[in-house]
Amino acid sequence: MAENTVISAPKEKEEWFGKKERKLLTDPFNDNNPITVQILGVCSALAVTTQVYPSVVMAIAVTFVTAFSNLATSAVRSYIPKEVRMIAQLVIIALLVTIVELFLKAFNYAIWKQLSVFIGLIITNCIVMGRLEAFAMANKPWRSFLDGIGNGLGYGAVLILVSVVREITGKGSLFAGSPIEWKIIGNTSAYMINTTAEGSWFGWYANNNLMVLPTSALLLIGIIIWIQRSYNKKLVDIS
Amino acid sequence: MEAINIFIKSAFIENMVLSYFLGMCSFLAVSKSVKTAVGLGAAVIFVQVITIPVNWLINEYLLLERGIFGLDLTFLRFILFIATIAAMVQLVEMIVERFSPSLYNALGIFLPLITVNCAILGGSLFMISREYNFTNSLSFGFGSGFGWALAIIVMAAIREKMAYSNVPPALRGLGMAFILTGLMGIAFMSLMGIDPALYMGLKK
Amino acid sequence: MGSSGYILRFTLIMTVITALVLAGMFYVTEPYALRSEAVFNKRAILSAVRSQLGGDKFDELSDQQVLDIFEKQVEQLVVNMQGEVVDGEKAENISLAQEKKKPESNRLLPVFIYNSPDDSKKYYILSIRGNGLWDEIWGNIALESDLNTVAGASFDHKGETPGLGAEIKDNPGFPAAFINKKMYNDKGEFVSIVVRKGGARDPQHEVDAITGSTITSNGVSEMISRGITYYKPYLDKLKKS
Repeated sequence: MAENTVISAPKEKEEWFGKKERKLLTDPFNDNNPITVQILGVCSALAVTTQVYPSVVMAIAVTFVTAFSNLATSAVRSYIPKEVRMIAQLVIIALLVTIVELFLKAFNYAIWKQLSVFIGLIITNCIVMGRLEAFAMANKPWRSFLDGIGNGLGYGAVLILVSVVREITGKGSLFAGSPIEWKIIGNTSAYMINTTAEGSWFGWYANNNLMVLPTSALLLIGIIIWIQRSYNKKLVDIS
Repeated sequence: MEAINIFIKSAFIENMVLSYFLGMCSFLAVSKSVKTAVGLGAAVIFVQVITIPVNWLINEYLLLERGIFGLDLTFLRFILFIATIAAMVQLVEMIVERFSPSLYNALGIFLPLITVNCAILGGSLFMISREYNFTNSLSFGFGSGFGWALAIIVMAAIREKMAYSNVPPALRGLGMAFILTGLMGIAFMSLMGIDPALYMGLKK
Repeated sequence: MGSSGYILRFTLIMTVITALVLAGMFYVTEPYALRSEAVFNKRAILSAVRSQLGGDKFDELSDQQVLDIFEKQVEQLVVNMQGEVVDGEKAENISLAQEKKKPESNRLLPVFIYNSPDDSKKYYILSIRGNGLWDEIWGNIALESDLNTVAGASFDHKGETPGLGAEIKDNPGFPAAFINKKMYNDKGEFVSIVVRKGGARDPQHEVDAITGSTITSNGVSEMISRGITYYKPYLDKLKKS
């Protein structure tokens, strides 16, 4: 299930931003989505999807890492000796992730605290390593870069979709903790004094605590896959 | 005593897969048959038990300011940890290849994938953020590996049976696996709030 | 390519480059990280007197404003377990997580005194730390100048369950419920504040628990009663003077 389609280096004339390049960006959103089709990278980031804001930060961080690790690996691919290939890739990834961590710690401490170990876990996010192996080791830097951005965004799209559903149904807010925090529905049911937020809609709705717990993310992804495959028949698992 | 507490907590209550989603890639990919699941589970336990204490030593004596260099080198933590893990996985690969070629073939490409198994690096990072001491990190390594192995074996057993069920086509395989894991997570949640320390008299 | 000499050279160059890049990044970002950390901690301390700092507007304070308020209106002092003020220590440098590892009689406790802008009122902000369900929980309690009435509280945690135990931090209603509760009863005996499952019965000394998180709630009760007991020698001395 985890095998990737290895796209061999193209023979025809390279374009700067042609049809092929656009496909690299759009494919990961549906036909070749990292989470729902390639099942790579489910691991680390789902625990952060209780709220939208950390998920957005996570999506940006992963996109940064996939894009630049693809670029860097592709640029040095002919110099990497086979024997230390994996270590070399891991070092590149770990380097980029450490940069992301240092940056977040310096400029967005609250989010850094909230994401804690999950920033480090981007290293073992299989999607980063998976794209390096499947694409960057066999393609030119520019295309690898686009592939990295496409996959990072495709991954981020699922992350944000899941977090939007979880935050609205579980906490009745959107973008909590960010500058554009928006309290929309429901009351905060976990506490006995049911404080209905001012100007909230659907004041009768009691927040569903199941949606805040980790398991709900798995159920939601299951449902997303179900919906996606009902429309996109070629993805259906035959086995 | 505290070590036993940490073992129980990390294996059952704060299960790597079911409450942190760590190691999902190989969890979903290898849980099709019980036999390979047992093999991978054993390999994960082995790697966890070695890497977490080794990483503890690296962190304590090399990276922290109170270590032998007297410098705050924590920014090298990710790189050193992942290098240790890669080296240990290589070791396990060699051992398995020598002593059980059939298991080696069955595990195939998933053995090197243990390196990028989030549960392994996650274990080391949790060990740091929870400030365990050496014995506790050893017991945490064993517990979290055991919990991961337990989850994947149970999952494989369920999926073997699922092969005979009439699942809607679009949900077959991956979709069903996600939902099953979610349901297992809910089942494990019933253990939540149990505090082993309370029963062992560690806490009043 | 492939010879061991080449592999060695490649690995060496790679290691050196990575180490240099990371070391550079670390020293460039470190001052910013330290400042962000200080702002984060000071914001948490000031959050205990948020009702004095504009209530809901407190969250809109910029980093610089937080630092300024802390600089101008907050006095810091460190006391020991006997209630004596320790000279030469700054309260913001005291980490309760580290103090917890020391034997009880050697611990140091931070005290932050917030003066209202017109200097008419003083609030004593005390830091406490304890255990929740999964991991440690901590918080700050602000007492009014009678050293009895709670002016506000703020809590945080390491790993409580989102939606349950984590509500001590996420739900603004929980710390707000501590306002105007009393630490001492009418006879002047220390009774602390209890987080009561099923709803507060004593309007002076109890607050409502969070549904479904008994252990975290008990942890908060225990943390307050023990934490304030540590400060008692200091509070007693303060009352006499």
